[in-house]
Amino acid sequence: MTTGLIIVQLMNGIALGALYALMAFGLSIIKGLLNIPNFAHGALYLIGAYVAFEVSSSLDSFWLGLPAAVLASAAVGVVIERFGVRRLYGSAYLFQLLLLFGIALVLEQCVILIWGTLGQSLTPPGILMGAVDLGVSLFPKYLLFTTLVSFLVIVGIWFVIEKTHFGAVIRAGLERREMVSALGINIELLFTLAFAMGAGLAGLAGALAVPLVGVSNTMGTDMLAIAFVVVVLGGLGSIYGAIAAGLLVGIVQSMSALWVPSASTVLIYAMMILIIAFRPQGLLGER
Amino acid sequence: MTSPLVSRRRVLQGGASLGLAGLAAPAIVGRASAADELVMGTITPHTGTYGYAGKQVIEGAKLAIDMHGGEILGKPIRHVTRDSEGKPAVGVRRLSEALSEGVTVFNGNYSSAVGLAQSEIAAKRKVLQYSAGGSEDFTGSRCSRYTFHWSANTYTAVKAMMDYVQKQMPNAKRWYTITADYVFGQGLLKYAEVIGKEMGIEFVGNDFHPLGERQYTQYITKAIASEPDVLCLLNGGSDAVTTLRQFHNYGAEGIQIVTPWGLEADQMPELAPEMREGIIIGQNYYYDIDTPANRKFVEAYREAYGAPPAYAGAYGYDSFRTVLMAMERAGTTDVAEAIRTLEGMEYDSILGPTTIDTATHQTVRPYFILEGVDPAKMEHDSDFARVVYTGSDKQPAELNECEDIGSL
Repeated sequence: MTTGLIIVQLMNGIALGALYALMAFGLSIIKGLLNIPNFAHGALYLIGAYVAFEVSSSLDSFWLGLPAAVLASAAVGVVIERFGVRRLYGSAYLFQLLLLFGIALVLEQCVILIWGTLGQSLTPPGILMGAVDLGVSLFPKYLLFTTLVSFLVIVGIWFVIEKTHFGAVIRAGLERREMVSALGINIELLFTLAFAMGAGLAGLAGALAVPLVGVSNTMGTDMLAIAFVVVVLGGLGSIYGAIAAGLLVGIVQSMSALWVPSASTVLIYAMMILIIAFRPQGLLGER
Repeated sequence: MTSPLVSRRRVLQGGASLGLAGLAAPAIVGRASAADELVMGTITPHTGTYGYAGKQVIEGAKLAIDMHGGEILGKPIRHVTRDSEGKPAVGVRRLSEALSEGVTVFNGNYSSAVGLAQSEIAAKRKVLQYSAGGSEDFTGSRCSRYTFHWSANTYTAVKAMMDYVQKQMPNAKRWYTITADYVFGQGLLKYAEVIGKEMGIEFVGNDFHPLGERQYTQYITKAIASEPDVLCLLNGGSDAVTTLRQFHNYGAEGIQIVTPWGLEADQMPELAPEMREGIIIGQNYYYDIDTPANRKFVEAYREAYGAPPAYAGAYGYDSFRTVLMAMERAGTTDVAEAIRTLEGMEYDSILGPTTIDTATHQTVRPYFILEGVDPAKMEHDSDFARVVYTGSDKQPAELNECEDIGSL
């Protein structure tokens, strides 16, 4: 076991973790701001993936596929918020859960109706093909790209939330919903935008994942499970906890290949149980 | 059992004239008429992830019956189909229903879990099962006198693939394996190690991954670091597809990627053409196998369904064709006689010269090694890969776990 290999696995883990973080960041924005457990988040990831696949392969341009996926998932998010979730803001968790779970099933079946059950693949665009030779092993250029995009987007959203007027309103909405609306701010529009932003992030994560995992109708469910683990690990209600937790999950999963490869999936859940046992509020959660 | 059936039939006939037939008909007519017709069942997934495959099994099975003239030894053949949903419990329930309609021969399991569950019912109810799937338990630890297995033994698959690689690349001695961590993958690894030992292959590393893993880059990174000549994937289905996909991102030119049982032809469109180029894959069936029986089958299949058959369609067809051939040779549609004839039978299947092993009920048949076609040289949309080698080495008896196949 060389130090070199450990470093490469660490890089691989950060790359995987960045995608998880992107996915979970959207989920935690929706959870934090709207207090909604978005069980349709996996379906939004699925839609992003298929739209990116369809646009990229029919127009032969991955660079159009990425924004198309973000817009499509965000648009579906707007519809879900306006016509579904909005009616249930005051209701019990169970109703929200049922609605979103139902929406997820409907969306998944729509994807099957349109694209069938057989998976598909997409190669990365030419410029991102191949790998960088790190001496001990190779590292795909495409993974460097997804890491870079994920971090840029996360930093961008951090900037919007922390440094702009719009972000200030969002943060205010997180803390004191009634006060914000008493100040004459259109909180309904704000909620729609926040939901669309979270959904768009899921779409982006889905699109970025396509050259890595391809498209298949079960990919949304697979990713949703990991995203919820990440959000819980990060701390419910803490928007940024999801980023740290996402990276942690990616790194643990990748490092496990060095010592206990067959436990890569189990370790993620074992880690969740451990953290919940010793720090019930999650990594960055407050209570 | 015979006399109550006859009397039941008489009762039924009486009932029919009284207009009561509708109530009792399905169960009783089926049984009573079993002697004057052959009822063949295909219990296969119509819905769910493998829904597409189930449809093809039925198409193939139906074609076998049609091409036999729809009758055997003067009796009409009736085809009954049921949806197993790809779940063992449902598969068993649907099988019982089909049996009550008079089915005496069935195929279609596609999934090993469903097939092994059905195998117990087949033995209990004394009906003939022709199964398929990657599990060697069908003809190993859970072998049964009433079950025959169509898919090749995994030993045959691994041997054929390793023989080809050694022939093509005699210097490729360093192998790295990525193995699905359950019975199927472990079985493949066991054989790879046994065969590799004779060939002087050095296994420089192996990673077991959980079934259904979505991320393989951590294993691939590790594999590449140990500088193997060959990266051998001992997994299957979507696991193999995802590994091949992610391996492609590395553009690792010097490493040959091979997989003895990774994916069937019908899954090949899941990979982009660039990802398929140069990969070496083992196949139970490929439509351009050059045998008289297969040419005839492919032509009829294309004409009937508009596309070349894949593994599922070939299984549906060839398994029923084999049973019908045995019944013709036996001169009766009786299940026990058919089984006795099948045991040790030598014949030309669509795959080539084939025998059925009496001790295990394994169909000992050729296994095909294919190489992915360069996208620029593809002649048509389904020209994914071409057969480059055929192997049919039987699993050595000392590696087989079938102790007692049972009695009729």
